[in-house]
Amino acid sequence: MNGNLVPALDATPLPGPPWLFHVLLVFTFVLHVLFMNLTLGGTILAAFSQVFSGGKAGDYRTVLASRLMGINVYGISLTITSGVAPLLFIQLLYGQYFYTATILLSWMWFGFLVILILGYYATYVYKFRGVPAKGSGGTVWLCLSAVMFLLIAMVHVAVNLVHAQPGKWAAFAEDPWSVLGDSTYVVRLLHFVLAAIAMSALVIVYWAVRRAKAGEDVELNTEIASYAWKWALLMTALQIADGFALLMLLPRDVLLGLMRGGAATMVPLSIAILLGIGLLMMLSRVQDPVASPKMVHGSLGTLLLVIALMSVTRHQVRILYLEPMTSNFTLESAPQWGNFLFFAVLLVAGLWTVFYMVQQVMKNPATGEEAA
Amino acid sequence: MDYPIWDVSIGPSMMIAIVAIAHVIVSHFAVGGGLLIAVTETLALRRSDEHLRELARRSSLVLILISTVFGAISGVGIWVTVGLAAPAAISALIHNYVWGWAIEWVFFIVEIVAALVYYNTWGKVKKGTHVMIAWVYFVAAYMSLVIINGIITFMLTPGKWLETRAFWDGFFNPTYWPALVLRTGIVLIMAVVFMAFSALGADPEARPRLMRFLGGWLAAGTLVAYAGYRWWESALPEGIRGLFSGADPALATLATTRHFLLWALTATLVLGVLLLVAFPRAARWPTLVVLLVAAASFFGGYERLREGVRKPYIIHDYMFSNGLRVDQLAEVREKGVLPSATWAAHPSSEDPEVRGRQIFRAQCAVCHTLDGYQSIKALVPEDPDMTYSVLYTLYDMSDAYTSLAPGATVDKSKLDYPFMPPFAGTEEEMEDLTAYLVTLVSNGGGL
Repeated sequence: MNGNLVPALDATPLPGPPWLFHVLLVFTFVLHVLFMNLTLGGTILAAFSQVFSGGKAGDYRTVLASRLMGINVYGISLTITSGVAPLLFIQLLYGQYFYTATILLSWMWFGFLVILILGYYATYVYKFRGVPAKGSGGTVWLCLSAVMFLLIAMVHVAVNLVHAQPGKWAAFAEDPWSVLGDSTYVVRLLHFVLAAIAMSALVIVYWAVRRAKAGEDVELNTEIASYAWKWALLMTALQIADGFALLMLLPRDVLLGLMRGGAATMVPLSIAILLGIGLLMMLSRVQDPVASPKMVHGSLGTLLLVIALMSVTRHQVRILYLEPMTSNFTLESAPQWGNFLFFAVLLVAGLWTVFYMVQQVMKNPATGEEAA
Repeated sequence: MDYPIWDVSIGPSMMIAIVAIAHVIVSHFAVGGGLLIAVTETLALRRSDEHLRELARRSSLVLILISTVFGAISGVGIWVTVGLAAPAAISALIHNYVWGWAIEWVFFIVEIVAALVYYNTWGKVKKGTHVMIAWVYFVAAYMSLVIINGIITFMLTPGKWLETRAFWDGFFNPTYWPALVLRTGIVLIMAVVFMAFSALGADPEARPRLMRFLGGWLAAGTLVAYAGYRWWESALPEGIRGLFSGADPALATLATTRHFLLWALTATLVLGVLLLVAFPRAARWPTLVVLLVAAASFFGGYERLREGVRKPYIIHDYMFSNGLRVDQLAEVREKGVLPSATWAAHPSSEDPEVRGRQIFRAQCAVCHTLDGYQSIKALVPEDPDMTYSVLYTLYDMSDAYTSLAPGATVDKSKLDYPFMPPFAGTEEEMEDLTAYLVTLVSNGGGL
C-alpha cells in the first residue's frame, strides 16, 4: 500500500479527546441519516408513486407522493442542517483523508451543491404547483428532484470510498471516475437507497394508519398504508441480500477486522442483522397494516434501531479501512472542556427551544378570525 | 501545501470568493430579515395593522425560499469550497474552533426549524404564538452571526491567540466588536433592501407608509454600519491599516476599494432615503434594483477589503494563503519545499523544469492559474534574470517573517510584495522554479 500520499497531520491538537469526537460523529450522523432517508427515499418513493398513478388527483399513490413531499419540504432543510455536524467532525478526525478525497473528486464534490439547489427548488416547484400536484408537470419536477438526490447519494458514496482507501489514491488521481468501478460501490449505494426508501415507506404507513384509526379517509389511508407497506417489504428483502453482498465484498482485512473486533464490532453488526431479518418477518406477516397498528409501530421502531446500529458498524468499517494509515499517526489532544460543556448545555437548550416551539404551535391553534 | 491541488481555471481562491459573496449577502439578509419581520409582525399585532402583517408574511416567503434553501446550501458550500481550495487552512480553523462551529450548529438548527414553523403556521396558530416564533428565529439567527463573526475576525486579527493559543483570546480578538457592529448594520441594510421588494406587492394605498417604515430602518442600518466600519478600521493594527488608509497607503487597489465602499454606503443611504422615505412612490423594481446594487456594492467592497488586507495570510501571522505555516518557514527554507509537498512533488523528478512546476503547484497555484485568473503566464517577465530577481526578492522576504518575535506582526506596508507569501524553499528550488517559469514565456508552458 502506498502511504506516501497521506498529508501530514494538522499541527493543532484536537480540542477534545478523540473518543468524544468519534461519539459525536456517529451520533450526529444518525440524526442526519434519518432526515436524509426521508429526503432521498421519500422523494424516490414519491416519484415512483406519482408516475404509477399518472399524477391523477385523488389516486392513493398521488396522495402518498404529496404527503411525502409535504414532509420533505421541511425534511430537506433538516437534512442539510443536521448534515453540518458530521461534516464538521469528520474533518476534525479524518481531515487528511477527507479533504484529499474531495479534491480528487473535486467537480463531483462541488457539483453536489448545485445539484442540491436544483433538487430542493424542484421540490418547491412541485409543492407550489399544488399538493397533490396537478398533472404531469408535477411529476416531472418530482422526478427531477429524485434524480438530483440520487446523484448526491452517488457523490457521497464515492467520496467515502475514496477517503477510506489512501492506497488507491494514485489511481483515483489518474481517473477519478474509476471509483464508480470499485467492487463495493454499487452495493454500498444500494444499501443507503434501499434503507432510505424502506424507512420513508414505513413513516408514511405509520401516518396513514394513525389517520385511518382516527376515522379520517379510512379507505384512502388503508390503500396508502397497504401500498407503502409492500414497498417497505420489498426494500427490506432486497436490503438484506444487498447487506450480505456488501459484507462479502469488503476487503479481506476489513472483514477480518470486523470478525476479530470482538463484542465491540460483532454485537452491533449481529444485532442489526438479526433485527433486519426480524423486520422482514414482521413485514411479511402483515397484509393489512391498519388492522395491525402494533406491528407498524414495531416495524418502524425496529428499522430505526437497525439504522442506528448500522451507523455504528459503518463507522467501525471506516476505522478498519483506514487502520493501516491511521496507525502511523498519533492524535494529540488539548481538551477545551469548558467549551464542550457550553456546547452541550446549548444543545440541550436548543432542542428544548425546538420542542417548546412545536408544543406551542400544537397548543395554540388559530381560532375565528385569526385562522383566516 | 501537502494536499492535492484543485485545478480550476478561474483559480481556487476566486471560487471561494464567488461562493462566499453569494452566501454572505443571503445570510445577512436571513439575520436582518429575522429582526425586521419580527418587529413588523409585532407592530402589526399591536396596531391591528393588516398591511404590516401582510408585509411580514410576504417577506417570510422570501426568507424561506432564499435563506433556508440557498443560504443553508451556500453556507455548506463555503466549507466545501474552502476544503477544496485551502484544506490546510480550514483544518487549522476547525481544530481551533470546532466547539465554536458546534455551538453555531445548535443555533442553526433552531433558526431553520423556527423559519419553517414560522412560514408554515401563518393563520394556523394564535398571532401571539406566531410572533414568538419570529423572535426565536431572530435570536437564533443573530447568535449564529455572533459566533461566526468571532471566527471570521480571528482570521484577520488573531490577537493574543498567537501567543496563548486560547480559544477565547482568538474569538474576542481586536476586531471582534467593531465587526459585529458593522455586520449588525449590514444585516439591517440587506433586510430592508429585500423586504422593499416584498412591499411592492402591498396595497397601493398602504405602500408609501410601508416604504417609509422600511426607510427608517435602512437609515439606521447605514449609520450603524458606518460607525462599525470606522471603528473596525481604527481597531486594525497599523501594519494592516497602512495598506489602504492614511496619507500614503501602500496599496492603491485597496485604497480604491475603501473609497468605493464608503461611496457605495453613502449612495445606499441617499438612495434609501429618497426612494423609501422622501418619494416612496418612486420605489419600483428598477429603482429598488439600483438600491440593491448600491447596498451589495458596499457589502462586497467591505468583504473584498477585509480579504485583501489579510493577504498573504489565510490566518494572519499564522498561516499563509498557500497553506504554509509561518513557523514552518525556517525549516522549509533549509530543507526545501518539495520534501513536504506530498502531492505536488508526486512523482519525484530530477528535471529542474519538472521540479519547478511542482514547486509552482505547491506554493503558487492556490492563487495563480496558468492562463486564467491571475495568470502566471501574463505575469512572468520575458527576461529570465528578471524572473529570478523577483523570486529572490520573495525569497528574501522570508527574513521579515522568520526574524519576528513571538506574537509580533510583520509591517506588510514595508514589503516589496505585501500581497504575496515569501518564497519558501532552498536557493536550488528557486532556480528550478525560475527554469519552469521561463518555459511559460518561451514555449507556453508545455510541461
